[in-house]
Amino acid sequence: MAEVTDEPPAERAADTDDAGVVVDAVGKTYAGDGDPVRALDDVSFTVETGEFVCLVGPSGCGKTTLFRIVAGLIDATDGEVRLGGTPVTGPTTEMGVVFQEYHLFPWLTVEENVRFGLDRSDYPEAERERRVDEMVDLVGLTEFRGSYPKSLSGGMKQRVAIARALAVDPALLLMDEPFGAVDAQTREMLQRELLDVWQSTGKTVCFVTHDVAEAVTLGDRIVVMAAEPGRIAEVVDVDVDRPRERGDPAFGEHVARVRELIGAQP
Amino acid sequence: MATDTGGRFDGSDDDVRNETGIGTELGLDDPRRLLRGVAGLLGFLALWHAVSLTQPPIVLPSPVAVAASFRAELVSGTMTAALVSSVRHWIPGTLVGTGLGIGAGVAFAWSRPLDDVTAPLVRLLRPVPPLALIGFAIAWFGLNDAGAAFIIAVGGFWINFYAAYGAVEGVSEDLVDVGRTLGVRGELDMVRSVVLPASLPGILTGIRTGLGRCWMLVIAAEIFSVPGVGREILRASNNLRVDRAIAYILVLSLMYLVVDVAFRAVQRRVLVWQK
Repeated sequence: MAEVTDEPPAERAADTDDAGVVVDAVGKTYAGDGDPVRALDDVSFTVETGEFVCLVGPSGCGKTTLFRIVAGLIDATDGEVRLGGTPVTGPTTEMGVVFQEYHLFPWLTVEENVRFGLDRSDYPEAERERRVDEMVDLVGLTEFRGSYPKSLSGGMKQRVAIARALAVDPALLLMDEPFGAVDAQTREMLQRELLDVWQSTGKTVCFVTHDVAEAVTLGDRIVVMAAEPGRIAEVVDVDVDRPRERGDPAFGEHVARVRELIGAQP
Repeated sequence: MATDTGGRFDGSDDDVRNETGIGTELGLDDPRRLLRGVAGLLGFLALWHAVSLTQPPIVLPSPVAVAASFRAELVSGTMTAALVSSVRHWIPGTLVGTGLGIGAGVAFAWSRPLDDVTAPLVRLLRPVPPLALIGFAIAWFGLNDAGAAFIIAVGGFWINFYAAYGAVEGVSEDLVDVGRTLGVRGELDMVRSVVLPASLPGILTGIRTGLGRCWMLVIAAEIFSVPGVGREILRASNNLRVDRAIAYILVLSLMYLVVDVAFRAVQRRVLVWQK
Protein backbone atom coordinates (compact mmCIF):
# COMPACT_ATOMS: atom_id res chain seq x y z
CA MET A 1 0.00 0.00 0.00
CA ALA A 2 1.02 3.57 -0.26
CA GLU A 3 2.64 4.08 3.06
CA VAL A 4 5.35 6.58 2.29
CA THR A 5 5.73 8.27 5.62
CA ASP A 6 9.12 6.71 6.34
CA GLU A 7 10.79 8.30 3.37
CA PRO A 8 12.35 11.76 3.34
CA PRO A 9 10.15 14.45 1.74
CA ALA A 10 12.27 14.94 -1.40
CA GLU A 11 12.07 11.29 -2.47
CA ARG A 12 8.41 11.20 -1.62
CA ALA A 13 7.68 14.04 -3.99
CA ALA A 14 9.74 12.42 -6.74
CA ASP A 15 8.12 9.01 -6.81
CA THR A 16 4.54 10.00 -6.12
CA ASP A 17 3.98 12.44 -8.95
CA ASP A 18 1.34 10.18 -10.44
CA ALA A 19 -0.42 9.78 -7.13
CA GLY A 20 -3.87 11.27 -6.68
CA VAL A 21 -3.24 13.27 -3.54
CA VAL A 22 -0.13 13.59 -1.45
CA VAL A 23 -0.50 15.22 1.95
CA ASP A 24 3.07 15.97 2.88
CA ALA A 25 4.01 16.83 6.49
CA VAL A 26 1.09 19.23 6.80
CA GLY A 27 0.84 21.25 10.01
CA LYS A 28 -1.50 24.04 11.00
CA THR A 29 -1.16 26.47 13.89
CA TYR A 30 -3.88 28.97 14.70
CA ALA A 31 -2.51 32.17 16.21
CA GLY A 32 -5.65 33.14 18.11
CA ASP A 33 -5.83 35.54 21.04
CA GLY A 34 -4.05 33.48 23.67
CA ASP A 35 -1.50 30.74 23.10
CA PRO A 36 -1.15 29.52 19.55
CA VAL A 37 -3.18 26.34 18.97
CA ARG A 38 -1.57 23.48 17.07
CA ALA A 39 -4.52 22.07 15.12
CA LEU A 40 -2.54 19.70 12.89
CA ASP A 41 0.94 18.31 13.33
CA ASP A 42 3.03 16.51 10.70
CA VAL A 43 0.13 14.91 8.82
CA SER A 44 1.27 12.82 5.85
CA PHE A 45 -0.63 10.31 3.75
CA THR A 46 -1.30 9.51 0.12
CA VAL A 47 -4.47 8.78 -1.78
CA GLU A 48 -3.71 6.78 -4.93
CA THR A 49 -5.49 7.57 -8.17
CA GLY A 50 -8.86 5.83 -8.17
CA GLU A 51 -8.63 4.98 -4.50
CA PHE A 52 -11.34 5.61 -1.89
CA VAL A 53 -9.77 6.82 1.35
CA CYS A 54 -11.71 7.74 4.47
CA LEU A 55 -10.48 10.04 7.20
CA VAL A 56 -11.88 9.38 10.67
CA GLY A 57 -11.09 10.76 14.08
CA PRO A 58 -12.60 12.11 17.26
CA SER A 59 -14.05 15.61 17.26
CA GLY A 60 -11.34 18.21 17.61
CA CYS A 61 -8.75 16.11 15.75
CA GLY A 62 -8.55 18.64 12.94
CA LYS A 63 -10.42 16.64 10.28
CA THR A 64 -12.22 19.68 8.99
CA THR A 65 -9.07 21.81 9.12
CA LEU A 66 -7.29 19.15 7.08
CA PHE A 67 -10.22 19.00 4.66
CA ARG A 68 -10.08 22.75 4.16
CA ILE A 69 -6.33 22.68 3.61
CA VAL A 70 -6.61 19.89 1.01
CA ALA A 71 -9.42 21.83 -0.69
CA GLY A 72 -7.16 24.90 -0.85
CA LEU A 73 -9.61 26.98 1.16
CA ILE A 74 -7.04 27.71 3.88
CA ASP A 75 -3.26 27.56 3.89
CA ALA A 76 -1.19 25.07 5.84
CA THR A 77 1.37 26.48 8.27
CA ASP A 78 3.84 23.72 7.38
CA GLY A 79 4.14 21.18 4.60
CA GLU A 80 2.05 21.02 1.46
CA VAL A 81 -0.66 19.15 -0.39
CA ARG A 82 -0.01 17.98 -3.93
CA LEU A 83 -2.66 16.97 -6.42
CA GLY A 84 -1.24 14.97 -9.34
CA GLY A 85 2.20 16.28 -8.36
CA THR A 86 1.18 19.96 -8.36
CA PRO A 87 1.14 21.82 -5.03
CA VAL A 88 -2.33 23.04 -4.05
CA THR A 89 -2.17 26.81 -3.47
CA GLY A 90 -5.87 27.61 -3.64
CA PRO A 91 -9.20 26.13 -4.66
CA THR A 92 -8.97 24.28 -7.97
CA THR A 93 -11.57 22.78 -10.26
CA GLU A 94 -9.41 19.66 -10.30
CA MET A 95 -11.14 18.94 -7.00
CA GLY A 96 -14.86 18.47 -6.58
CA VAL A 97 -15.71 19.51 -3.05
CA VAL A 98 -18.81 18.37 -1.16
CA PHE A 99 -19.67 19.92 2.20
CA GLN A 100 -21.73 18.51 5.06
CA GLU A 101 -24.48 21.10 4.81
CA TYR A 102 -24.85 20.79 1.00
CA HIS A 103 -24.49 24.52 0.44
CA LEU A 104 -26.50 24.48 -2.75
CA PHE A 105 -27.15 27.86 -4.30
CA PRO A 106 -30.78 28.29 -3.22
CA TRP A 107 -31.60 30.71 -6.04
CA LEU A 108 -30.62 28.18 -8.71
CA THR A 109 -32.56 25.13 -9.81
CA VAL A 110 -31.07 21.64 -9.62
CA GLU A 111 -29.71 21.81 -13.14
CA GLU A 112 -28.46 25.37 -12.73
CA ASN A 113 -26.57 24.32 -9.61
CA VAL A 114 -25.00 21.42 -11.50
CA ARG A 115 -24.16 23.78 -14.34
CA PHE A 116 -22.49 26.43 -12.14
CA GLY A 117 -18.95 25.08 -12.45
CA LEU A 118 -19.38 24.18 -16.12
CA ASP A 119 -20.20 27.80 -16.94
CA ARG A 120 -16.70 28.67 -15.79
CA SER A 121 -15.00 25.82 -17.63
CA ASP A 122 -13.51 25.33 -21.09
CA TYR A 123 -16.28 22.96 -22.15
CA PRO A 124 -18.17 24.10 -25.27
CA GLU A 125 -21.85 24.82 -24.77
CA ALA A 126 -23.14 21.55 -26.24
CA GLU A 127 -20.79 19.57 -24.00
CA ARG A 128 -21.93 21.55 -20.94
CA GLU A 129 -25.52 20.64 -21.60
CA ARG A 130 -24.63 17.01 -22.17
CA ARG A 131 -22.68 16.89 -18.90
CA VAL A 132 -25.53 18.49 -16.94
CA ASP A 133 -27.90 15.84 -18.31
CA GLU A 134 -25.42 13.10 -17.51
CA MET A 135 -24.75 14.26 -13.93
CA VAL A 136 -28.40 14.89 -13.10
CA ASP A 137 -29.16 11.42 -14.42
CA LEU A 138 -26.21 9.89 -12.54
CA VAL A 139 -27.67 11.01 -9.21
CA GLY A 140 -31.23 10.12 -10.24
CA LEU A 141 -32.69 13.60 -10.17
CA THR A 142 -33.74 14.06 -13.80
CA GLU A 143 -37.34 14.41 -12.67
CA PHE A 144 -36.39 17.27 -10.34
CA ARG A 145 -33.96 19.14 -12.57
CA GLY A 146 -36.16 22.24 -12.64
CA SER A 147 -36.81 22.30 -8.89
CA TYR A 148 -35.28 24.71 -6.41
CA PRO A 149 -33.27 23.28 -3.47
CA LYS A 150 -35.90 24.41 -0.98
CA SER A 151 -38.33 21.80 -2.26
CA LEU A 152 -35.82 18.92 -2.01
CA SER A 153 -35.16 16.55 0.89
CA GLY A 154 -31.74 16.45 2.56
CA GLY A 155 -30.73 13.33 0.67
CA MET A 156 -31.70 14.86 -2.65
CA LYS A 157 -29.82 18.06 -1.85
CA GLN A 158 -26.67 16.10 -1.15
CA ARG A 159 -27.07 14.25 -4.47
CA VAL A 160 -27.26 17.60 -6.22
CA ALA A 161 -24.11 18.72 -4.38
CA ILE A 162 -22.31 15.57 -5.56
CA ALA A 163 -23.50 16.06 -9.14
CA ARG A 164 -22.40 19.71 -9.00
CA ALA A 165 -18.96 18.70 -7.73
CA LEU A 166 -18.54 16.00 -10.40
CA ALA A 167 -19.82 18.09 -13.31
CA VAL A 168 -16.47 19.65 -14.20
CA ASP A 169 -14.87 16.19 -14.14
CA PRO A 170 -12.41 16.76 -11.29
CA ALA A 171 -9.56 14.34 -10.58
CA LEU A 172 -10.54 14.14 -6.92
CA LEU A 173 -13.84 14.09 -5.07
CA LEU A 174 -13.26 15.60 -1.63
CA MET A 175 -16.08 15.21 0.88
CA ASP A 176 -16.48 16.52 4.43
CA GLU A 177 -19.01 14.46 6.41
CA PRO A 178 -21.36 14.67 3.44
CA PHE A 179 -23.97 12.35 4.95
CA GLY A 180 -23.83 13.73 8.48
CA ALA A 181 -27.00 15.77 8.14
CA VAL A 182 -29.38 13.10 6.81
CA ASP A 183 -31.28 10.35 8.60
CA ALA A 184 -29.77 6.86 8.98
CA GLN A 185 -31.84 5.24 6.24
CA THR A 186 -31.04 7.92 3.69
CA ARG A 187 -27.42 7.81 4.72
CA GLU A 188 -27.11 4.10 3.89
CA MET A 189 -28.76 4.67 0.54
CA LEU A 190 -26.43 7.56 -0.23
CA GLN A 191 -23.43 5.44 0.76
CA ARG A 192 -24.44 2.74 -1.72
CA GLU A 193 -25.05 5.35 -4.38
CA LEU A 194 -21.70 6.99 -3.75
CA LEU A 195 -19.94 3.65 -4.18
CA ASP A 196 -21.82 3.16 -7.45
CA VAL A 197 -20.76 6.61 -8.63
CA TRP A 198 -17.18 5.95 -7.55
CA GLN A 199 -17.07 2.61 -9.37
CA SER A 200 -18.68 3.98 -12.52
CA THR A 201 -16.54 7.13 -12.73
CA GLY A 202 -13.27 5.78 -11.32
CA LYS A 203 -12.71 9.01 -9.36
CA THR A 204 -10.25 9.32 -6.53
CA VAL A 205 -12.25 9.94 -3.36
CA CYS A 206 -11.17 11.44 -0.06
CA PHE A 207 -14.01 11.20 2.44
CA VAL A 208 -13.98 12.76 5.91
CA THR A 209 -16.35 11.29 8.51
CA HIS A 210 -16.67 10.77 12.26
CA ASP A 211 -18.74 7.64 11.69
CA VAL A 212 -16.45 4.59 11.93
CA ALA A 213 -18.97 2.18 10.39
CA GLU A 214 -19.36 4.56 7.46
CA ALA A 215 -15.60 4.64 6.94
CA VAL A 216 -15.40 0.85 7.01
CA THR A 217 -18.34 0.58 4.60
CA LEU A 218 -16.77 2.91 2.07
CA GLY A 219 -13.01 3.10 2.27
CA ASP A 220 -10.19 1.11 0.66
CA ARG A 221 -8.13 2.51 3.48
CA ILE A 222 -8.93 4.50 6.59
CA VAL A 223 -6.68 7.26 7.84
CA VAL A 224 -7.32 7.32 11.59
CA MET A 225 -6.55 10.60 13.30
CA ALA A 226 -5.89 11.48 16.92
CA ALA A 227 -6.47 14.79 18.67
CA GLU A 228 -4.38 17.43 20.47
CA PRO A 229 -2.59 18.06 18.28
CA GLY A 230 -4.40 16.63 15.27
CA ARG A 231 -2.18 13.92 13.84
CA ILE A 232 -2.35 10.53 12.16
CA ALA A 233 -2.71 7.64 14.58
CA GLU A 234 -2.60 4.91 11.97
CA VAL A 235 -3.63 4.02 8.44
CA VAL A 236 -5.85 0.94 8.34
CA ASP A 237 -6.34 -1.19 5.19
CA VAL A 238 -9.88 -2.42 4.88
CA ASP A 239 -9.59 -6.02 3.63
CA VAL A 240 -13.28 -6.72 3.28
CA ASP A 241 -14.85 -7.59 -0.06
CA ARG A 242 -17.50 -5.27 -1.45
CA PRO A 243 -20.41 -5.07 -1.09
CA ARG A 244 -19.66 -4.97 2.61
CA GLU A 245 -22.25 -6.21 5.05
CA ARG A 246 -22.38 -4.89 8.58
CA GLY A 247 -23.14 -8.41 9.86
CA ASP A 248 -19.87 -9.75 8.38
CA PRO A 249 -17.40 -10.63 11.21
CA ALA A 250 -14.52 -9.05 9.26
CA PHE A 251 -16.52 -5.81 9.06
CA GLY A 252 -17.04 -5.85 12.82
CA GLU A 253 -13.35 -6.49 13.45
CA HIS A 254 -12.37 -3.47 11.38
CA VAL A 255 -14.88 -1.27 13.15
CA ALA A 256 -13.59 -2.44 16.54
CA ARG A 257 -9.99 -1.91 15.49
CA VAL A 258 -10.61 1.67 14.29
CA ARG A 259 -12.68 2.48 17.37
CA GLU A 260 -9.87 1.24 19.55
CA LEU A 261 -7.42 3.49 17.73
CA ILE A 262 -9.70 6.47 18.21
CA GLY A 263 -10.29 5.56 21.81
CA ALA A 264 -14.04 5.71 21.39
CA GLN A 265 -16.51 3.57 23.29
CA PRO A 266 -17.12 0.28 21.46
CA MET B 1 -29.75 5.52 -8.49
CA ALA B 2 -32.92 5.45 -6.52
CA THR B 3 -35.12 8.45 -6.98
CA ASP B 4 -37.22 9.79 -4.17
CA THR B 5 -36.31 9.86 -0.49
CA GLY B 6 -39.38 11.74 0.58
CA GLY B 7 -38.68 15.03 -1.12
CA ARG B 8 -41.44 17.58 -1.09
CA PHE B 9 -41.99 18.90 -4.53
CA ASP B 10 -44.87 21.30 -4.42
CA GLY B 11 -44.87 23.57 -7.39
CA SER B 12 -48.45 23.22 -8.51
CA ASP B 13 -49.90 26.08 -10.49
CA ASP B 14 -52.46 26.80 -7.80
CA ASP B 15 -49.81 27.53 -5.20
CA VAL B 16 -47.94 29.88 -7.45
CA ARG B 17 -51.03 31.86 -8.34
CA ASN B 18 -52.22 32.25 -4.77
CA GLU B 19 -48.82 33.10 -3.37
CA THR B 20 -47.97 35.80 -5.83
CA GLY B 21 -51.38 37.27 -6.61
CA ILE B 22 -52.36 40.77 -5.71
CA GLY B 23 -55.57 39.31 -4.25
CA THR B 24 -53.53 37.76 -1.43
CA GLU B 25 -52.04 41.12 -0.57
CA LEU B 26 -55.45 42.65 -0.06
CA GLY B 27 -56.87 39.59 1.65
CA LEU B 28 -59.32 38.95 -1.16
CA ASP B 29 -58.71 35.21 -1.18
CA ASP B 30 -60.07 34.83 2.35
CA PRO B 31 -63.58 36.25 2.68
CA ARG B 32 -63.50 36.21 6.48
CA ARG B 33 -60.30 38.24 6.63
CA LEU B 34 -61.69 40.65 4.09
CA LEU B 35 -64.92 41.00 6.05
CA ARG B 36 -63.09 41.76 9.30
CA GLY B 37 -60.94 44.33 7.53
CA VAL B 38 -63.97 46.08 6.06
CA ALA B 39 -65.65 46.00 9.48
CA GLY B 40 -62.60 47.60 11.09
CA LEU B 41 -62.51 50.31 8.49
CA LEU B 42 -66.24 51.06 8.79
CA GLY B 43 -65.94 51.10 12.59
CA PHE B 44 -63.15 53.64 12.34
CA LEU B 45 -65.16 55.84 9.98
CA ALA B 46 -68.18 55.67 12.30
CA LEU B 47 -66.10 56.66 15.31
CA TRP B 48 -64.49 59.46 13.35
CA HIS B 49 -67.88 60.71 12.23
CA ALA B 50 -69.30 60.57 15.79
CA VAL B 51 -66.37 62.52 17.21
CA SER B 52 -66.49 65.06 14.37
CA LEU B 53 -70.08 65.93 15.33
CA THR B 54 -68.80 67.27 18.63
CA GLN B 55 -66.02 69.35 17.10
CA PRO B 56 -65.86 72.32 14.72
CA PRO B 57 -64.66 71.45 11.18
CA ILE B 58 -61.34 73.25 11.64
CA VAL B 59 -60.49 70.79 14.43
CA LEU B 60 -61.92 67.61 12.93
CA PRO B 61 -64.05 67.60 9.77
CA SER B 62 -66.43 64.71 9.22
CA PRO B 63 -65.50 61.91 6.79
CA VAL B 64 -68.33 63.12 4.56
CA ALA B 65 -66.77 66.59 4.35
CA VAL B 66 -63.40 65.01 3.53
CA ALA B 67 -64.97 62.89 0.80
CA ALA B 68 -66.59 66.01 -0.66
CA SER B 69 -63.25 67.83 -0.62
CA PHE B 70 -61.54 64.83 -2.21
CA ARG B 71 -64.11 64.86 -5.01
CA ALA B 72 -63.88 68.63 -5.52
CA GLU B 73 -60.08 68.55 -5.72
CA LEU B 74 -60.22 65.62 -8.13
CA VAL B 75 -62.81 67.26 -10.39
CA SER B 76 -60.98 70.59 -10.47
CA GLY B 77 -57.81 68.82 -11.59
CA THR B 78 -55.73 70.22 -8.74
CA MET B 79 -55.30 66.82 -7.13
CA THR B 80 -54.17 65.10 -10.29
CA ALA B 81 -51.70 67.88 -11.05
CA ALA B 82 -50.29 67.71 -7.51
CA LEU B 83 -49.98 63.93 -7.68
CA VAL B 84 -48.25 64.02 -11.06
CA SER B 85 -45.86 66.64 -9.76
CA SER B 86 -45.06 64.62 -6.63
CA VAL B 87 -44.51 61.47 -8.66
CA ARG B 88 -42.06 63.45 -10.76
CA HIS B 89 -40.02 64.11 -7.60
CA TRP B 90 -40.50 60.68 -6.20
CA ILE B 91 -39.45 58.59 -9.22
CA PRO B 92 -36.05 60.17 -9.95
CA GLY B 93 -35.29 60.65 -6.24
CA THR B 94 -36.12 57.05 -5.43
CA LEU B 95 -34.29 55.65 -8.44
CA VAL B 96 -31.10 57.58 -7.74
CA GLY B 97 -31.19 56.98 -3.97
CA THR B 98 -31.96 53.29 -4.34
CA GLY B 99 -29.34 52.69 -7.01
CA LEU B 100 -26.55 54.52 -5.23
CA GLY B 101 -27.54 53.06 -1.85
CA ILE B 102 -27.45 49.47 -3.09
CA GLY B 103 -24.24 50.05 -5.02
CA ALA B 104 -22.44 51.60 -2.05
CA GLY B 105 -23.88 49.07 0.41
CA VAL B 106 -22.75 46.07 -1.63
CA ALA B 107 -19.33 47.55 -2.39
CA PHE B 108 -18.54 48.66 1.18
CA ALA B 109 -19.75 45.42 2.74
CA TRP B 110 -17.83 43.27 0.29
CA SER B 111 -14.54 45.17 0.23
CA ARG B 112 -12.77 45.40 3.57
CA PRO B 113 -10.40 48.24 2.50
CA LEU B 114 -13.28 50.27 1.09
CA ASP B 115 -15.21 49.67 4.30
CA ASP B 116 -12.28 50.82 6.43
CA VAL B 117 -11.92 54.00 4.39
CA THR B 118 -15.61 54.90 4.39
CA ALA B 119 -16.74 53.73 7.85
CA PRO B 120 -15.99 56.99 9.73
CA LEU B 121 -17.59 59.06 6.99
CA VAL B 122 -20.69 56.85 7.00
CA ARG B 123 -21.01 57.19 10.79
CA LEU B 124 -20.69 60.95 10.49
CA LEU B 125 -23.24 61.39 7.70
CA ARG B 126 -25.77 58.78 8.75
CA PRO B 127 -27.44 60.82 11.54
CA VAL B 128 -28.07 63.80 9.26
CA PRO B 129 -31.82 63.91 8.53
CA PRO B 130 -32.56 64.48 4.85
CA LEU B 131 -34.52 67.59 5.77
CA ALA B 132 -31.45 69.18 7.30
CA LEU B 133 -30.06 69.20 3.78
CA ILE B 134 -32.77 71.45 2.40
CA GLY B 135 -30.33 74.33 2.32
CA PHE B 136 -28.00 72.30 0.10
CA ALA B 137 -30.90 71.17 -2.06
CA ILE B 138 -31.81 74.80 -2.70
CA ALA B 139 -28.22 75.93 -3.17
CA TRP B 140 -27.26 73.08 -5.50
CA PHE B 141 -30.48 72.51 -7.41
CA GLY B 142 -32.79 75.42 -6.64
CA LEU B 143 -36.47 75.54 -5.67
CA ASN B 144 -37.45 72.98 -8.25
CA ASP B 145 -38.11 69.33 -8.99
CA ALA B 146 -34.44 68.43 -8.82
CA GLY B 147 -34.10 69.97 -5.35
CA ALA B 148 -37.05 67.95 -4.08
CA ALA B 149 -35.73 64.79 -5.74
CA PHE B 150 -32.39 65.33 -3.99
CA ILE B 151 -34.00 65.25 -0.52
CA ILE B 152 -35.89 62.09 -1.45
CA ALA B 153 -32.75 60.48 -2.85
CA VAL B 154 -30.83 61.08 0.39
CA GLY B 155 -33.52 59.35 2.43
CA GLY B 156 -33.72 56.43 0.00
CA PHE B 157 -29.96 56.11 -0.11
CA TRP B 158 -29.50 55.30 3.57
CA ILE B 159 -32.27 52.75 3.80
CA ASN B 160 -30.96 50.90 0.78
CA PHE B 161 -27.37 51.30 1.86
CA TYR B 162 -27.92 49.63 5.22
CA ALA B 163 -30.20 46.94 3.82
CA ALA B 164 -27.68 46.00 1.12
CA TYR B 165 -24.74 46.27 3.52
CA GLY B 166 -26.41 43.97 6.04
CA ALA B 167 -27.52 41.52 3.37
CA VAL B 168 -24.03 41.20 1.91
CA GLU B 169 -22.48 40.86 5.36
CA GLY B 170 -24.93 38.05 6.02
CA VAL B 171 -23.99 36.04 2.93
CA SER B 172 -22.77 32.64 4.08
CA GLU B 173 -19.00 32.19 3.87
CA ASP B 174 -19.71 28.63 2.89
CA LEU B 175 -21.46 29.67 -0.32
CA VAL B 176 -18.46 31.80 -1.16
CA ASP B 177 -16.21 28.78 -0.50
CA VAL B 178 -18.38 26.62 -2.75
CA GLY B 179 -18.10 29.28 -5.43
CA ARG B 180 -14.32 29.24 -5.14
CA THR B 181 -14.14 25.44 -5.43
CA LEU B 182 -16.38 25.62 -8.52
CA GLY B 183 -14.05 27.92 -10.37
CA VAL B 184 -15.26 31.42 -9.47
CA ARG B 185 -12.18 33.58 -9.84
CA GLY B 186 -12.07 37.30 -9.23
CA GLU B 187 -14.18 39.60 -7.10
CA LEU B 188 -16.54 40.64 -9.88
CA ASP B 189 -17.59 37.11 -10.75
CA MET B 190 -18.03 36.30 -7.06
CA VAL B 191 -20.18 39.37 -6.42
CA ARG B 192 -22.26 38.83 -9.55
CA SER B 193 -22.69 35.06 -9.29
CA VAL B 194 -22.83 34.43 -5.55
CA VAL B 195 -22.97 37.53 -3.36
CA LEU B 196 -25.70 39.46 -5.18
CA PRO B 197 -28.13 36.58 -5.63
CA ALA B 198 -27.55 35.44 -2.04
CA SER B 199 -28.25 38.91 -0.66
CA LEU B 200 -31.15 39.66 -3.00
CA PRO B 201 -33.88 38.98 -0.40
CA GLY B 202 -32.37 41.57 1.97
CA ILE B 203 -31.78 44.05 -0.83
CA LEU B 204 -35.38 43.75 -2.01
CA THR B 205 -36.67 44.30 1.52
CA GLY B 206 -34.59 47.47 1.58
CA ILE B 207 -36.00 48.65 -1.72
CA ARG B 208 -39.52 48.04 -0.46
CA THR B 209 -38.92 49.94 2.78
CA GLY B 210 -37.22 52.68 0.80
CA LEU B 211 -40.14 53.07 -1.61
CA GLY B 212 -42.42 53.88 1.31
CA ARG B 213 -39.93 56.11 3.07
CA CYS B 214 -39.20 58.05 -0.11
CA TRP B 215 -42.89 58.58 -0.68
CA MET B 216 -43.18 60.06 2.82
CA LEU B 217 -40.21 62.29 2.09
CA VAL B 218 -42.10 63.67 -0.90
CA ILE B 219 -44.14 65.70 1.56
CA ALA B 220 -41.11 66.91 3.44
CA ALA B 221 -39.29 67.75 0.23
CA GLU B 222 -42.18 69.89 -0.95
CA ILE B 223 -42.33 72.15 2.12
CA PHE B 224 -40.12 74.65 0.36
CA SER B 225 -42.92 75.41 -2.04
CA VAL B 226 -42.23 72.95 -4.81
CA PRO B 227 -45.61 71.97 -6.26
CA GLY B 228 -47.03 68.60 -5.25
CA VAL B 229 -49.17 66.75 -2.75
CA GLY B 230 -46.94 67.92 0.09
CA ARG B 231 -47.42 71.56 -0.77
CA GLU B 232 -51.19 71.10 -1.05
CA ILE B 233 -51.28 69.58 2.45
CA LEU B 234 -49.29 72.48 3.87
CA ARG B 235 -51.37 75.03 2.04
CA ALA B 236 -54.62 73.47 3.26
CA SER B 237 -53.30 73.38 6.81
CA ASN B 238 -52.23 77.01 6.67
CA ASN B 239 -55.73 77.95 5.49
CA LEU B 240 -57.28 75.87 8.28
CA ARG B 241 -58.86 73.59 5.64
CA VAL B 242 -58.40 70.35 7.54
CA ASP B 243 -60.81 68.52 5.22
CA ARG B 244 -58.59 69.34 2.23
CA ALA B 245 -55.48 68.36 4.13
CA ILE B 246 -56.97 64.99 4.99
CA ALA B 247 -58.07 64.48 1.38
CA TYR B 248 -54.47 64.92 0.23
CA ILE B 249 -53.17 62.72 3.03
CA LEU B 250 -55.54 60.09 1.68
CA VAL B 251 -53.95 60.47 -1.76
CA LEU B 252 -50.58 59.74 -0.18
CA SER B 253 -51.86 56.62 1.55
CA LEU B 254 -53.55 55.28 -1.56
CA MET B 255 -50.47 55.92 -3.66
CA TYR B 256 -48.30 54.14 -1.11
CA LEU B 257 -50.69 51.20 -1.00
CA VAL B 258 -50.64 50.80 -4.78
CA VAL B 259 -46.85 50.97 -4.96
CA ASP B 260 -46.32 48.59 -2.05
CA VAL B 261 -48.75 45.98 -3.32
CA ALA B 262 -47.20 46.13 -6.78
CA PHE B 263 -43.68 45.82 -5.42
CA ARG B 264 -44.55 42.90 -3.17
CA ALA B 265 -45.95 41.07 -6.15
CA VAL B 266 -42.70 41.68 -8.02
CA GLN B 267 -40.68 40.66 -4.97
CA ARG B 268 -42.45 37.33 -4.66
CA ARG B 269 -41.99 36.61 -8.31
CA VAL B 270 -38.27 37.35 -8.20
CA LEU B 271 -37.79 35.32 -5.02
CA VAL B 272 -39.83 32.35 -6.20
CA TRP B 273 -36.94 30.10 -5.08
CA GLN B 274 -37.54 31.11 -1.46
CA LYS B 275 -41.00 29.60 -1.22
